[in-house]
Amino acid sequence: MQERIRQTEREINRDLLWPVLRIPWWFWGLVLAAALLVAAGGSAFGLEVNRGPGVYGVNRPTFWGFLIVNFVFWVGISHAGVMLSAILRLSQAEWRRPMVRAAEVLTIFSLATAASFPLMHTGRPWRILYWAFPYDFSRGVYVNVRSPLIWDPSAIFTYLTSSALFVFITLIPDLAVLRDRTTGWPHRIFSVLALGWKGNPRQWRLQALAGILLSALILPVFVSVHSIVSWDFGMAVSVEGWHVTIFAPYFVIGAVHSGVAAVATLMVVMRKLFRWDAYLRDEHFDAIGRLLVVVGTAWFYFFLLEFVFALLGREPQELALRELQVFQWPWNALFVLFLLTAYFIPVPLWLFRRVRRNLTLMFWTSILVNVGMWLERLIIIVPSLMRKQTFTFIWGVYKPSPIEILMVVGSFGLVALGLLMFSKVFPLIPLNEAKEAQVFMDEIRVGKRRVPAVVREE
Amino acid sequence: MAGTHNHHRPHPLPQPDLPRDPQEISQDLLGRFLSPRPGLRGALVGLFVLTVLGGVGLVLRLGTAPLSPEGRAGWAYLAVAWSYILSTAQAVPVFAVAMRLARNHWRRPLSRIAELYGVAGLLNLLILLLLLATLPAGGAFRRTLWQYLLGSPHVWDFLYMLALVLLGLALLYVSALPDLALVRDHGRGVARSLAGSLAGFWRGTPRQWRVLHMALGVLGAFYFIAYVMAHSLLAVDLAMVLVPGWKDAIFPAYQTLTSLQSAVALVAVTAFLYRRWGRMERYIGVEQFWALSKLLLATTLLWFYFWFAGFITFWYGRTPAEQGVIRLFIAGPYFGVFLLAFLFGFLFPFLLLIWNVVRRSVGGPVLASALVLFGNLMERVRTYAGAWSVPNEAIGAHRLEEIPHALAPGLPDVLMAVGALAGALFLVLLASRLVPLISVWEVKEWAMLQRVKVLVRRPVVVIAKPE
Repeated sequence: MQERIRQTEREINRDLLWPVLRIPWWFWGLVLAAALLVAAGGSAFGLEVNRGPGVYGVNRPTFWGFLIVNFVFWVGISHAGVMLSAILRLSQAEWRRPMVRAAEVLTIFSLATAASFPLMHTGRPWRILYWAFPYDFSRGVYVNVRSPLIWDPSAIFTYLTSSALFVFITLIPDLAVLRDRTTGWPHRIFSVLALGWKGNPRQWRLQALAGILLSALILPVFVSVHSIVSWDFGMAVSVEGWHVTIFAPYFVIGAVHSGVAAVATLMVVMRKLFRWDAYLRDEHFDAIGRLLVVVGTAWFYFFLLEFVFALLGREPQELALRELQVFQWPWNALFVLFLLTAYFIPVPLWLFRRVRRNLTLMFWTSILVNVGMWLERLIIIVPSLMRKQTFTFIWGVYKPSPIEILMVVGSFGLVALGLLMFSKVFPLIPLNEAKEAQVFMDEIRVGKRRVPAVVREE
Repeated sequence: MAGTHNHHRPHPLPQPDLPRDPQEISQDLLGRFLSPRPGLRGALVGLFVLTVLGGVGLVLRLGTAPLSPEGRAGWAYLAVAWSYILSTAQAVPVFAVAMRLARNHWRRPLSRIAELYGVAGLLNLLILLLLLATLPAGGAFRRTLWQYLLGSPHVWDFLYMLALVLLGLALLYVSALPDLALVRDHGRGVARSLAGSLAGFWRGTPRQWRVLHMALGVLGAFYFIAYVMAHSLLAVDLAMVLVPGWKDAIFPAYQTLTSLQSAVALVAVTAFLYRRWGRMERYIGVEQFWALSKLLLATTLLWFYFWFAGFITFWYGRTPAEQGVIRLFIAGPYFGVFLLAFLFGFLFPFLLLIWNVVRRSVGGPVLASALVLFGNLMERVRTYAGAWSVPNEAIGAHRLEEIPHALAPGLPDVLMAVGALAGALFLVLLASRLVPLISVWEVKEWAMLQRVKVLVRRPVVVIAKPE
């Protein structure tokens, strides 16, 4: 059942611009909370810079821990933007309209957060300069271009650049609206950013074309980013459980699963905070819930393939790793928790329409998914390193330090802070999309009933 | 208003000249079903002859290679044919299911074509019985996903394939019920009496329609899952485990994906043939081929992605086992076949389909589809002929020590393969004499749910969203 409401352009402008033009009562409270989390994470990092990477919990043989798990997690969250914005735009899914910008902005902030974690993980991030550039021309020490660790930043920064461009292109008409509704220095800034937008037919045509072209061009980048991140692990022959062919699509579909769930969480928060019931309607949550069922089930299929094929060869070291993951404390509890939260609780619930249209349930189930997906990355990365060596007397145990935990918590604050600041400056729901939805909304008579309809985009 | 709306110019898209009156649609489609084109009988006879020749090839092969693990290499090309039918004809109902789940309307004239291909599974089930006889039994010496279950893998693989075939037939039956009722009420001769016994209970009450839609959803979901798992189990048991050192988690997903690509291609080719020789232009128009071309482009790109994800992991790792697998399937005796699979399965279709003008035509997607179908055949040849050429004594090793020579098809192989494909097509064409090739009730629904209106001085299509 559709719940569409007829709205005028004035109403749309008023509803979607009020968070930008006024300060909501909750705004500074949330900013303070997010800033505190960022400060905690930043302080922890400051402590690490002062005392050295020994304050991290990583040690032989588990050299990658919480920080790398968090890096992969945030890269995964960033996949929501392209999934919802580009793919649904190309497939002309009408329900994408109110969530595209929030998804794209989430992509940018989560990617930027993700990119900071390998730098912090090095312990001495300024030494990246030696890694990014030849250390000494006469000694010919160059970066190892055969390593996925080099492909990673190329992919991530390409994705970050193209996503930022994508957000900006689609933001231009809204910047023009803000330009026309502000005075003083905000007006001057919006005037510059709006690039002289007048809204004539030619500009709209070019803007739509740019959106479609960028959507198509960003898709290979979207697939390549998490594939390359997965190859950080997949190309490592020496680590059991990592050198698996399925990792690339497994990581990509997992990223889409966690990213879309994160957008669902964000949508609930936006609807509550900004009172956007008329824009983020139950039908949108219904649609995103159905998408999550499909994506989640595809992810589970890839997980099954990865797990079952690990057992197929019956190699002793692989079996030792799986025995640790499934039967030994605390990994067995985390393994069960991961499966329950990433798939077995939320996805069966989402099969029911009543659940998909219930905001509270959608909020908590989408959060559960991301808890599960964070655990998934932890279970992939740490136990494999704990069992990396052939000789059991070198098998290690990893215990995360409070520094790492604070930095992970700080990353959530950083993304939240970024989203809050963005919402203060730019509208989180595209005005032109909301208005276009009104134009494309229609009804037709089928028998005795009038049925909601939509104009098909060409 | 002018400054805030998206005024991009819509491309003029030729729409199928769909009749609006449901009665007219019923009469038109039923009339075409009851008066088949003259060439159909000839096609049926020709396919039957080829199927019989396939049987001759089978007898010839039995004379040279026993139907046992020792003679497995002699049956490699029958395995190729089996796998090709599984990955094309039996994959096509998945297309119908997925498109119905996605709630798009352009797929309506193509749904029945897709569901009808499920009957090819009956022949494929029989072929599987023959092939299973050549597999070594489970146990410590042979890996199988069924591990140590009694009768593994033979019993379980057969049962799984049987379940898939039965689900396909059930899906076809349920979706054809309203049209069978139409034939029962307005048809004549054998078709009428058969339809009467199959759909005697159908009255078209609201409750029956509700149950029908629910059943289609449930059966569709089960078929989808069953098909995906079929590739994950059968492809592994009949290919991967026969090659020592080949442990490739992406292989089932890759096989499934290439099957979906072939399914889209087969639908496009069949729709083209039916449109051309059945004069179905008003139902199967450019819109259908445009949509199919987008799906084909997406699956073609995914073909490359899945293949590359598997290849680069093996190539980068360079363990002896991985090197053996790459030498067998890519760089060694099957290099030419791999090249053909790569060019026809990915590169040529991709280069064709990236052009908008090609996608928005009838001939372009059909040409790309034909290339894909050939590429998929080459892909199955290199996978199954390659895997089945490994001798029994090498299967239990940790890696492929010696790369076997490429198995060239002999006359019995060609006859068996052609006979199998012809037999599958024969069954599909025969089934098309029982139910209309275009789903009458779905097309009538389509006519009810869309209108042409004028928006900003241009005609646009308005689509109802009753859900």
